[in-house]
Amino acid sequence: MSADLETRAVHAVDLAKAAGANDVWATASQGRDVEFGYRDGALEKVKDATSRSLAVQIYADGRYSSHQTTDLNPDRLRSFIAEAVAITRALEPDEYRQITPAELFDGRADEDLDLVDASVAKIDRQRRLDWCQALDEAATVDERVISATAGVYDGSQRSASASSNGFLGAKESTYCWYGTSVTLRDQGERRASDGYYVGGVYVDSLPAAHDVAAKALERSLARLGSEKGPTAKTAMLVDSRAAASLIGRLLRPATGRAAHLGQSFWAGLIDKQAFSEKLTIVDNPLIPRGLGSRHFDSEGIASRQLPVVENGVARNLYVDTYHGRKANMAPTTGSASNRVVGVGEHSLAELLQEVGDGVYVTSWLGGNADGTTGDYSLGLSGHLIENGEIGRPVGEMNVTGNLLDLFSRLELTGNDVYPYSTTLSPSLLFSDVDFSGA
Amino acid sequence: MTIKRRDFLGHVAAGSAVISMPTFLSGCGVPTATAVREATPENPFMTWFGVDQATTARVMSELTASGADAADLYFQHTRSNSLTLEDGIVSNANSGIQQGVGLRVVVGEQTGYAFTEDLTLPSMLAAARTASAIASGSQVIAPQAFNPLASGDLYTTTVPWSDVGVDRKLPLLKFVEEKAKSMDTAIEKVAVYWGDADERVMIATLDGRLVTDHRPMTRVTVVVTASKDGKTQTGHSNIAAREEFAWYSEERLTRMVKEAVDRTMIQFEARRPPAGEMPVILASGASGILLHEAIGHGMEADFNRKGTSIYSDMVGKKVAEPFVTVVDQATIPRERGALNYDDEGNKAGKTVLVEDGILKSYLHDQISARQYGLDPTGSGRRESYKFAPMPRMSCTFMEDGPHAKDEIVAAVDHGIICETYTNGQVRIGAGDFTFYVKNGWLVEKGRITAPIKDVNIIGNGPESLKRITMVANDARLDTGGWTCGKNGQSVPVSQGIPTVLVSNMTVGGENVG
Repeated sequence: MSADLETRAVHAVDLAKAAGANDVWATASQGRDVEFGYRDGALEKVKDATSRSLAVQIYADGRYSSHQTTDLNPDRLRSFIAEAVAITRALEPDEYRQITPAELFDGRADEDLDLVDASVAKIDRQRRLDWCQALDEAATVDERVISATAGVYDGSQRSASASSNGFLGAKESTYCWYGTSVTLRDQGERRASDGYYVGGVYVDSLPAAHDVAAKALERSLARLGSEKGPTAKTAMLVDSRAAASLIGRLLRPATGRAAHLGQSFWAGLIDKQAFSEKLTIVDNPLIPRGLGSRHFDSEGIASRQLPVVENGVARNLYVDTYHGRKANMAPTTGSASNRVVGVGEHSLAELLQEVGDGVYVTSWLGGNADGTTGDYSLGLSGHLIENGEIGRPVGEMNVTGNLLDLFSRLELTGNDVYPYSTTLSPSLLFSDVDFSGA
Repeated sequence: MTIKRRDFLGHVAAGSAVISMPTFLSGCGVPTATAVREATPENPFMTWFGVDQATTARVMSELTASGADAADLYFQHTRSNSLTLEDGIVSNANSGIQQGVGLRVVVGEQTGYAFTEDLTLPSMLAAARTASAIASGSQVIAPQAFNPLASGDLYTTTVPWSDVGVDRKLPLLKFVEEKAKSMDTAIEKVAVYWGDADERVMIATLDGRLVTDHRPMTRVTVVVTASKDGKTQTGHSNIAAREEFAWYSEERLTRMVKEAVDRTMIQFEARRPPAGEMPVILASGASGILLHEAIGHGMEADFNRKGTSIYSDMVGKKVAEPFVTVVDQATIPRERGALNYDDEGNKAGKTVLVEDGILKSYLHDQISARQYGLDPTGSGRRESYKFAPMPRMSCTFMEDGPHAKDEIVAAVDHGIICETYTNGQVRIGAGDFTFYVKNGWLVEKGRITAPIKDVNIIGNGPESLKRITMVANDARLDTGGWTCGKNGQSVPVSQGIPTVLVSNMTVGGENVG
């Protein structure tokens, strides 16, 4: 299937070797993406493109550099790679820059990760239009709708990698996403808006377009009449979709690179009870049909499950081979695949009951966190929780604190995982969080 | 990568846009471009892309075979270079070539788009047929030749980045590192990230224009990590411009390093302000992020023609005090957000968003300008040939006001000053926006009393504009390397502002009682 790309990658390795490289890693990629945009009863945008690229990493005379191009004209590619080797030689030598040791290639799982849905290639214009129309129809049933924009995105990605020390591997995956965003007339000049999108490797696994649009409209309607929430120290229940992004912030500095550079609050936490025992996170690259699934990572390291946090104990960082060598840490993988957060037994309704009074966060707006200290401050919108039920919509609020402290006060996790992400998290309940509002 | 973008779509609420200043840039490049290209007796840009008038006309004809109100071919070649200094050595470089052509057909509000990285005639014709499928009319008359417009001179360089080898850049990275280490003994790690790029674009339009632009860009970032009394803090600074190598004087680099060191060391003493509503003073320069989020995005005409912006029905109305004037201007020489022509081939210019407190004009691309019956404002931009253009900001700033900085500080009884930022975001419809303050100061009884750090500030666009009660006379553009993201497309932008007072905003903080 990917023989053409494998040939291209192997050829690039040969070219670089011929130009004087000692070691080479090459990846050839190709993708097809189709996008339909549909707004207020009419097709607004159609985009259809096939793209390709070639990337090489060069090791020469104890030096290293990486390069990529979309210009595959044979003559220009040859000179591009020759220049890449010349650039490498102009850098400083670094004993830690070495190609991935071949033993890390070993043990590649042979199970089928089921990442290709053959029916994606057969999606035609009419099917995309049908989805768009169904999304548009269901999203605009309320008279307060000013505008609804539906989108359908589908396509496939293929790549093949080869190295001078014997690596050869190919990847292929398909995807299909659709959903809509809805804008409603609210008080004064304000518009209430939100959206909902679903996606996956397999088309058949997605909920019907009509239901997706209904959810988008429901989320938008829930924003009507939103007011500034209170300044208060209270419980925070984060819905599963917003939780995925919060987990992403927590894990961002959990890398060997950040730890080595002194830019990670994770440094020194390994094997310590750093967080609440309710927190468990596993990086699992081998989930069938997973959006982040893979047999090997970008360095060729064979994929395996990586416990990151077990019952609140920090277990592993994302360590690439270079920073691992430098900081004397065993390489795990330099990048996340599917980050799976441990689920609890409570439904969302039960979590709300558990809270009594607090704030239910449904989306974030801006904000950031300092990876070195863990200090964070995030904008949010959501609802007040009153007597165990979802109350009036609130926004224009910030939540502020330290991520280490926040995740030590994780009280409960839900059983409601948000599936359309590479971070698979349930709803998360925290106690005593500082909110600023009115 | 694709999955990531879709994933992102799932997380970001409808109609939101973000701005950010990454501390790490993954640029790309090469000392000398020796690629051999077919010679044709044409425009040098046509030669560069290996096409001629006849080929371009042939593709345009195919692109408009089923009708078009507008159409364009966007040829782009970007050569980028980056270098990384960590642990005292430069042992990582990256270079890249991004080359392709984007083909667009516009019929009313409908857009058909395709691109190809293979600039051969058969491949371009195939992409043209794909893009033309949006239309269902009959062939329009396509030009047989394209008329080259005069090139702009906002960022002409004497030495292109392709002629600057790694050997010349390397000592600058070393200089930055040594300078940083020499400024404070508590500094343990210094990282320096270098980026430069030469971008060439050539736009051929259905109405027969041929626009070419050579767009240089460079950025240097320094990240400093210091330890004191068992605590570690990280800070950074960067500078960016459409400039050439000679721009990097020792003085300029030293100023950047000092900023990074100061921002890092002050954090050892900084704390969080109390949470809640309070007066907020925005220091001159980078605080232009307020304008970008509170009004800039909401004034992009694509949101307004769809009725989804909070500003959709507000043109001609009073939105701020009479001393508030806000401008988006692409024609400021060598700024990161500067452009000679926009990415639809229209002359970039100056658009007054708010004049003396009155909302004046949206930022238009061709589609919105036609719908409103106006001339485009030269605001149609795209990340690359892979994307269709849409209305975007360039350099957004507020003009000087009648007050003095000291006067503003003296007027605040209890509030904060915001000085440096990492990112911001806005929800276009509701108008709610945020920006993240990395460094700032507490103000008590008209005096600056203590450093603060790491707080998010949230407000509502139109409400915050109304609450700008004082504007100083010290306007300046920030030189930082800001990147604006909208609908999955990133473009370089600049922003600036004089010192201003917003009488009330919600400040993230701790120690809630």
